[in-house]
Amino acid sequence: MSWTLKINGTPQTFEPSEQPATLADLLKQLQMDKAAVVAEVDGQVVPREHFAQTVLRDGQSIELIRFVGGG
Amino acid sequence: MDSLVIAGKSFRSRLFIGTGKFASTSVMAAAIEASGTEMVTVALRRVDIQNPCDDMLSAIDRTRYQLLPNTSGARDAAEAVRLARLARAASGIHWVKLEVTPDPYYLLPDGTETLKAAETLVKEGFVVLPYIHADPVLAKRLQEVGCATVMPLASPIGSNQGMRTKDSIAIIIEQATVPVVVDAGLGAPSHAAEAMEMGADAVLVNTAIATAADPVRMAAAFKQAVEAGRLAYEAGLPPKSTTAQASSPLTGFLRNE
Repeated sequence: MSWTLKINGTPQTFEPSEQPATLADLLKQLQMDKAAVVAEVDGQVVPREHFAQTVLRDGQSIELIRFVGGG
Repeated sequence: MDSLVIAGKSFRSRLFIGTGKFASTSVMAAAIEASGTEMVTVALRRVDIQNPCDDMLSAIDRTRYQLLPNTSGARDAAEAVRLARLARAASGIHWVKLEVTPDPYYLLPDGTETLKAAETLVKEGFVVLPYIHADPVLAKRLQEVGCATVMPLASPIGSNQGMRTKDSIAIIIEQATVPVVVDAGLGAPSHAAEAMEMGADAVLVNTAIATAADPVRMAAAFKQAVEAGRLAYEAGLPPKSTTAQASSPLTGFLRNE
């Protein structure tokens, strides 16, 4: 069965073969440097050292955030 | 010059730099270097999933500069607290420039929500530097709840209008027991010098440097202006007079009285 994860507000469908087991797997799939990213899963901040242990499920809402220039 | 101390940390430079609006990361890094600053602000935004780009933080040497994540984009206290927590998770830094700006046109800060967020964040162990309107009463309230500084605006963010709130900032400086950092609207080195001569403890500048024709030279100009203004404040400005006060002796003229 396919999954839908809402990533940064946009729903994305994942077929069974491409479903990321953990947050770290998702970042790898999206080709993101995990050192530069901070994540929230269903409104809860996930510390970077827990990315690999954070198991993902269908229907979750994930925010991936990074630092940018700002005043 | 005296050092500036915020939350027990000493800063030799009284110029804080914002990192927005620079044409490139390399220009930003060169401007930071030229400014002599030891405190730089950064913002948090969603990653563009289609286009994850480089980490701008890698251009900032965190052993030399205190990173100050801001809560820009927050429209109320809850959003600001969420951003501060995310910034801490991302960087391990518990310093935050607290800004709550619900109005996108003037970007003026919401004092009520800022105070609410400040109380929460101080309790959670954050070093809170709140961006506020030049409101002396609010500045006192923020100080009372444990903020590390107050950061009144000179004029709206990015407007380059200079010290439009000068009289109120003077009252804040007179009453504050925490450092006063004049933030927003400083469009020229002379504006920064003016704030420092009044006794502001530091200034925060972004747009005036980042959008100058030569940001690196402008950063150097602000550095000198901030140092000159501080030195003048420490030296003690002489009183003003409505009439002339002769600089040369008023005796021994070559004429017969």
